[in-house]
Amino acid sequence: MPRFCLALALSLTASLASAGDSITVWWAQWAPSDGLQQLGDDFAKETGIAVKVHQIPWSNFQDQVFLDFGNAKTSFDAVVGDSQWIGRGASKGLYLDLTAWLPGAVDMAALHPKALANLCEYPAGSKKYFAAPLETDACGFAYRRDWFQDPAEQAAFKAKFGRDLAVPATWEEFRDIASFFQRPDKKRFGCAILTGRGYDSLVMGYQNFLWSFGGGWGDPATFATDGHVNSPSAVAGLEFMKSLLAYAPAGAANFDYVQCLESFTNGSTAMMMDYFAFFPGVARSMGDKAGFFAMPGHAGRRACSLGGQGFSISAKTSPAKQDAAKRFIAWFLQEKQQQAWIRKEGGFTANAAILKSPAFRSATPYNAALADSIDMVQDFWNVPVYNELLAAAQRHLGEALDGTKPAKAALDALAEEHAGIFAEAGLAK
Amino acid sequence: MAGMPGTGGTRMLAWSFVGPALLLLIAFNLFPLAWNIVLSFTNADLSGGTWEWVGGRNYATIFSDKSFAAKYGAALRTTALFTVLAVAIELALGFALALALRRDFRGKTPLLAVLLLPMMLSPAVMGLFWNLILEGTYGPLNQILGLAGLSQPAWRTEFKLLCLLLVDVWMWTPFMMLIALAGLNAIPAQLYEAAEIDRTPAWRVFARITLPLCAPLLGLAVLLRATDALKQFDLVMAITGPNDQATQTVSALLYQTTFANQKVGLGAAYAIVVLVGVIAVATLFTRYLDWMAARQGREG
Repeated sequence: MPRFCLALALSLTASLASAGDSITVWWAQWAPSDGLQQLGDDFAKETGIAVKVHQIPWSNFQDQVFLDFGNAKTSFDAVVGDSQWIGRGASKGLYLDLTAWLPGAVDMAALHPKALANLCEYPAGSKKYFAAPLETDACGFAYRRDWFQDPAEQAAFKAKFGRDLAVPATWEEFRDIASFFQRPDKKRFGCAILTGRGYDSLVMGYQNFLWSFGGGWGDPATFATDGHVNSPSAVAGLEFMKSLLAYAPAGAANFDYVQCLESFTNGSTAMMMDYFAFFPGVARSMGDKAGFFAMPGHAGRRACSLGGQGFSISAKTSPAKQDAAKRFIAWFLQEKQQQAWIRKEGGFTANAAILKSPAFRSATPYNAALADSIDMVQDFWNVPVYNELLAAAQRHLGEALDGTKPAKAALDALAEEHAGIFAEAGLAK
Repeated sequence: MAGMPGTGGTRMLAWSFVGPALLLLIAFNLFPLAWNIVLSFTNADLSGGTWEWVGGRNYATIFSDKSFAAKYGAALRTTALFTVLAVAIELALGFALALALRRDFRGKTPLLAVLLLPMMLSPAVMGLFWNLILEGTYGPLNQILGLAGLSQPAWRTEFKLLCLLLVDVWMWTPFMMLIALAGLNAIPAQLYEAAEIDRTPAWRVFARITLPLCAPLLGLAVLLRATDALKQFDLVMAITGPNDQATQTVSALLYQTTFANQKVGLGAAYAIVVLVGVIAVATLFTRYLDWMAARQGREG
């Protein structure tokens, strides 16, 4: 018996001593996670702290993370959570408060202010941080550069519209180009935009129209939604978005991130809206045929949906693991590692100087458009009830796109439901 | 066990047979049900934290909250429509197939095997395959329609509920056929011989012999399929997702409430309401079947 107790004590001591020797990070299943794993392996070589990046399919990512947070101890030590999750993570005690640690460990001045505000801070403007920026992504467009540069197409376009066929700066120009390339009999289509009814793709697609047409989700101070969600500008944005479906493939009223991607990489679509993190794969598979541009604007306004995720530490893991995770985050955000990060497929930095550098802008065909997009990103609500707000928005916007309800009626219903959710959550003032 | 001798040895033997099943029943049925009832009176959240007792507030939300009641009502209507249409079509097609396959013919066995294949496959996998078949531009169905000079609709956006029905009917018609075939084979041949001697018209034979004698088994098949269709979830998840107004069944709304919206307490209360509803429908239907069987017994 004494021998057994000694062995038990030794094994307990050993396990406690090694508690901070490895960390598990949960992220979605995509190329940037592979890049993070590679950097994690470099970190392990330098520090002896192993990093395991566990990848979960996008469709189950949110469910699995929050289900695991329901346990007394999480299976992960850090999570690369969606930007909208931060309010829930912060207010429910799921994310570790990094406010005191982050400014001392990371060069805050080097971080792009939009990335810091949208990916790390909660509540907005509070300077309280619950994440560090990891993947700084934005919504943009891939287009068929070979079609745009085809002299016959250029001549035909000029004859029809009286201007050169070029990357569109406004949504109106975008619609002209989409209509020009819409040739269903030849299996060629004008555009594919984010309209999927799953987690958030319809909302992420719609926001690009909502903001540039002058609308918004509500008043961030009072959480009032009536007159914002259903404003004439928002209605105009939604109606414009719907009008583009006439120049899209059959079924494009329900295209998620992957379906948009497929419609472009199968060679049938001229312009495709998606997140930049998907574009390295497009560039690799399509080569010079593909080009990339930032979101068009309307009446002088330009905006795009924020993508990407912040790096948060679980409040439900051991202090040793939390410390190891902090070391990894601080190491990852050093400029040297950020330079390595941008060389990984879909690895997008929040380092403002790197984003602005000519070397970064010219390194890939999509980097310049990405860097321009980061300056104009905006995000959906990131309050604790973001998920209910998101689900309601997906449902009502879907009804408008399907034609079940006119845009105005759908947005009126959405404004009412959002107001109810804010009231129930005690946020409405 | 009432008739068993009460010796300790036989009692032990009896418990050793019944015990494991009883334990499994308690662990996997009764405990989750009891826990679900407890949760339904709390404001439990998927991501943990402290819970508070909220009494009947979750139940009040389901029935009186304008927003939730509207969603619940819409989900209920979608589920009812789906169940009625799916079961009716499957019953009609399944019975017709059973009548066609009733007599022996060459190749009947392999044909039956092929017809039974769909119901042996996973609904989630089938949903994903049908997504590809129904794809608007490159899906095989629209390619065939295009070759035939017909219009090629965007099935998954313009006819969402129809897509669900199509896949469900494709999967479960063989089940109806199988049960109907069993019913048809159980009808005594003498009844048909007597009808033939009396030169009874075919439609009358069908109406007075085939259908009534098959009815109890068909009723059972309808009951089984209806309770299954009332819980429709996997096809919805695979084809349109749980948050699409056009196809949001009660189970999809339950998932959306509990997992996407992370309101475990409200979801638990909603699950109880759904369970009571399904039990009520099933009870009514079994009573009806009992009444039919009793009437047949009286007439026989």
